Amino acid sequence: MSATEHARPMGGPLLDRNMKVLLVLFAVAALVVVYRFATGIGPVSNMTDGYTWGIWEPVNVVVFTGIGAGAFGVGLLCYLLNKGKYHALVRPAVLVGAVSYTLGASSIMFALGRPWNAYWLPYAPYWNLSSALLEVAVCVLAYTIVLWIEVLPSILEGAAASRYPKLQALGASLGPRLQKLMPYVIALAILLPTMHQSSLGGLMLIAGPKIHPLWHNALLPTLFLVSCLSMGYGAVVVLVNLLNVTWKARLDQELVAGMSKVNAGLLILYLVLRLGEVVVHGKLRYLGANFATLLFLFELALFAAPAVMFLLPAVQRDRGRLFGAALLTLAAGAFYRVDTYLTMYRPSGWTDGVANAAGWNYFPSMGEMVVTVGMAAVGIAVFIFISRAFPVVVVDETRASNPSRS
Amino acid sequence: MRISRRDLLKGAVAAGAAAAVSTDAQARAPVPARPNAVGMLFDSTLCVGCRACQQACKAANGLPPDPAHAAGGVYDAPADLNSSTKNVIKLMSEGGQTQFMKQQCMHCVDPSCVSVCMMGALHKEGEGKRSLPGARPEKAGTGIVMYDKALCVGCRYCQIGCAFNVPKFEWRDPLPLIVKCELCRHRGDEKKSGPLAVANPACCEVCPRGAVIYGEREALLAQARARVAARPEAYNAHVYGATEGGGTQVLYLTAKDVAFTQLGLPSLPEESSASFSESVSHAPYLMGVTPVALYAAMAFVIHRNQKRDAHTTGEGQ
Amino acid sequence: MNDIGIDVTPALEKEGFSRRDFIKVCSMAAGAVGLPAWAGEKMAEQVATGRKPSVIWLHFQECTGCTESLLRTAHPDLGSLILDLVSIDYHETLFAAAGHQVEAALHQAVAREAGKYILVVEGAIPRKDDGIYCIVGGKKATDTLKELAQGAAAIISIGSCASWGGVPSASPNPTDAVGVKEILPEAFKAGKIVNLPGCPANPYNLLGTVLQYATFKTLPKLDEKGRPLFAYARVIHDDCPRRAHFDNGRFAQAFGDPGHNAGWCLYKLGCKGPQTHANCSLLHFCEVPGAWPIGIGHPCIGCTEQGIVFNVPIYKNLDIEKPTAPMAYPGINPEHGVVSRSSVAVGVGGAIVGALVGAGVVASKKLSAEDREKKE
Repeated sequence: MSATEHARPMGGPLLDRNMKVLLVLFAVAALVVVYRFATGIGPVSNMTDGYTWGIWEPVNVVVFTGIGAGAFGVGLLCYLLNKGKYHALVRPAVLVGAVSYTLGASSIMFALGRPWNAYWLPYAPYWNLSSALLEVAVCVLAYTIVLWIEVLPSILEGAAASRYPKLQALGASLGPRLQKLMPYVIALAILLPTMHQSSLGGLMLIAGPKIHPLWHNALLPTLFLVSCLSMGYGAVVVLVNLLNVTWKARLDQELVAGMSKVNAGLLILYLVLRLGEVVVHGKLRYLGANFATLLFLFELALFAAPAVMFLLPAVQRDRGRLFGAALLTLAAGAFYRVDTYLTMYRPSGWTDGVANAAGWNYFPSMGEMVVTVGMAAVGIAVFIFISRAFPVVVVDETRASNPSRS
Repeated sequence: MRISRRDLLKGAVAAGAAAAVSTDAQARAPVPARPNAVGMLFDSTLCVGCRACQQACKAANGLPPDPAHAAGGVYDAPADLNSSTKNVIKLMSEGGQTQFMKQQCMHCVDPSCVSVCMMGALHKEGEGKRSLPGARPEKAGTGIVMYDKALCVGCRYCQIGCAFNVPKFEWRDPLPLIVKCELCRHRGDEKKSGPLAVANPACCEVCPRGAVIYGEREALLAQARARVAARPEAYNAHVYGATEGGGTQVLYLTAKDVAFTQLGLPSLPEESSASFSESVSHAPYLMGVTPVALYAAMAFVIHRNQKRDAHTTGEGQ
Repeated sequence: MNDIGIDVTPALEKEGFSRRDFIKVCSMAAGAVGLPAWAGEKMAEQVATGRKPSVIWLHFQECTGCTESLLRTAHPDLGSLILDLVSIDYHETLFAAAGHQVEAALHQAVAREAGKYILVVEGAIPRKDDGIYCIVGGKKATDTLKELAQGAAAIISIGSCASWGGVPSASPNPTDAVGVKEILPEAFKAGKIVNLPGCPANPYNLLGTVLQYATFKTLPKLDEKGRPLFAYARVIHDDCPRRAHFDNGRFAQAFGDPGHNAGWCLYKLGCKGPQTHANCSLLHFCEVPGAWPIGIGHPCIGCTEQGIVFNVPIYKNLDIEKPTAPMAYPGINPEHGVVSRSSVAVGVGGAIVGALVGAGVVASKKLSAEDREKKE
């Protein structure tokens, strides 16, 4: 590792115009959430007994945490497989992970109908071990804490370099101690997401009759795990590009292209598993001139396109194209999740691939969308805040010192 | 790069400890009906749609009348189960055939809702994490699916899991509950003998035709089969709930030419959804051994990698 | 003197009734057959001009309950007044005479009114062993009926026994008792037989039918069982005053329980109202409002219906013949019109997704362009 690879706080105004916009979006969302607590979930959302999770569970929890799986993916590469060259990506990835998971966990708190009873969750004797959602809940809560512990080194480093002697002392003393514990924290940071990301897929196993057969299969945990890693790597590529454009963060195109090749492997694995399952279980007969087929092929295309792109040298060399391909992996993972949880879920189930009449319909309400957007906004705001105040981002010093670059 | 003996020992001890630790047995064999399982038998050929059961259920459970907008129905005439309706009568009218259908909790033998409920708020009587407070302690074996609101976090996973869409949620209440039929267990009377000591569903008590009757599941199943055998020209040969989704404690009979799916009862395989879901989910866990072993192995490897890095670069991170 | 010729007023006044009361009775009778009010006046006119229709009343296997119900009016005098509206030329119960005298009266009436008299039959007719189980005046019932039917302008079977066999026909029906229409199938096919089942039949149904014939020379419209539609088209259930209780699931569970005392529906106690065609719920007995079975708290036993009364146990209950209109029940998958898919929400959702996609495309292109610049 060279000296130019060291992270530093980005500095700059903490409350500039962008931040103000983001915080306003969050404030509106917060108002809606307060109203939700005052009047119940029904008045602010279009959730009903037929479509009971709306978009708050599939998007706020499942998709956001999928995006945050970058911490999982990079940690896997960097620490477990010991590919130290990815080291510079670790801190931003971990911060995105911490923020995303915090968004997911907080969203759960208001998506739950009776969140005040959540204090029972850590009480192991009451655990219903057959429930996949319990696994998700406990694991996600634990992992969120672990992620923030992983962010701690940046915080402590920033403290150690601060002007205030108390903070300096704090940073100096806790920093090395934390270093010693890191292997055990990182091992957890790989174990926990393996468990709950696959369980997020496992959540829909029980709803067998109600999910379209092309989406419901015994491989749901595996598919969710593979696609979340893919989303995570994609999110990291998108992130470093955004950081590069905003703060001239170091962007080693070869590095991210290399990581994207790993991603391509995951995407291909996903496609093989998904298509294989459909063929082996005789589900090809559900394909035809219908919406399900269209959605299925669209999803496959979303997975296949970046897989191909990541393997093309023309894309690997081009920042924009690689960025676009990474966005596609995010879209692929997001679509897969929303389709499994919502779009291909019918309260009265399916018969031969055709939805049974149910009398329920759903489209997210303004309240739900406002809250989702607001939560994303505050996540971005928190990321920006921490990156400005603490050493998270590695800046390309050579590039930064070159005045001709803007 | 040599792995030091100390590292090896540490790893081995960790793995050994992992193997010694075991959690609940996760073997997912099919779940049999409870020994004293009680339930109901609904014979839709006898139902005349008088809705006495609907009214009696409201009265017995202290449920409020339905506001007109709740389910798009006429005031106090619910169109479906909802947060103030635990039992509803619907009319199937297709191709000149009409038949009435009574809908309420099926009290499945292997309920999906019980399998997915995080803290066991929904549980079979006597099999929950704690006994519901109240005059009568829970007694295992009846198979009645009960709801403990003190443990419910309102995640509504039970609504997703239930193939019959039975649990309903109080959307417009800031302190919402899940609402579903509990077989009027609160109307049971220990001074009585037999199944009536356990529960006494108001709907069965008030039905003028005996279209819905209460009793022990075994006896009801035998009765249902006897009815079909006695009048095969009148009944659909199948008794719904004998095997569907692992079996239900509320059984259904219908007329000869009426399919159960026409009455809104889903066509389910013999394997319960809970069995499928738990088998797939728990397979990799190997009763808790896998996560611990995996953690131990990874901690070992990462630690070794860090040490190796520290030696080569002289820097930590 | 009044405009209707013969003055019945003195006779009425002697009984204590005004002409108005008289016309009222006629109007009631007219109303009972669904005729307009003015028909009552026309009936009264017919009566007053002395052209009273002749009625020959035969009794066979019967209990005389139908005759008694005709007499059991609240005001006995009004009852006899009703009887004055028709000319009863033969009636075994009402006649003081007996034996050869009354037989002679019968033959005279038949001869005198041939082709014009209304033959009312009360009681079932046995067919077993050539009909020897009912012999009146030395003649078999079957023979009497066939003989007298030939000269009758219309035949009215009053009561369930005459309509389809009634009590004597209850299983095992040892005498093979049947109704009039089984003895006179051609007349039945020709529409000459009016069946007024009931046990007893409601007397106003008889009165209305007879008077309609007397006034207009027409018989009321009949159903496939020969029953006048004005009285037997609907089931008791449809017009029952306790119907609201049925619709709301309020049933008496046992005689004397609070529900029974509150007047709730008697369906659970075996009421045959849902399958019994009759007009008892509208037109009560003995001129006393509420004097009918359900009105006094006993379930209907279906006394007009062959196959129900004397066949299905009184306290066993039945299917509803015509359930409440389907619109009143939710379908198996009712529409839950809660979600108002506002176009604003759809627009906003689309805008968000569009914005994300657009931003991604733009950013991607920009980065590519920068890269190309860098290379150049």
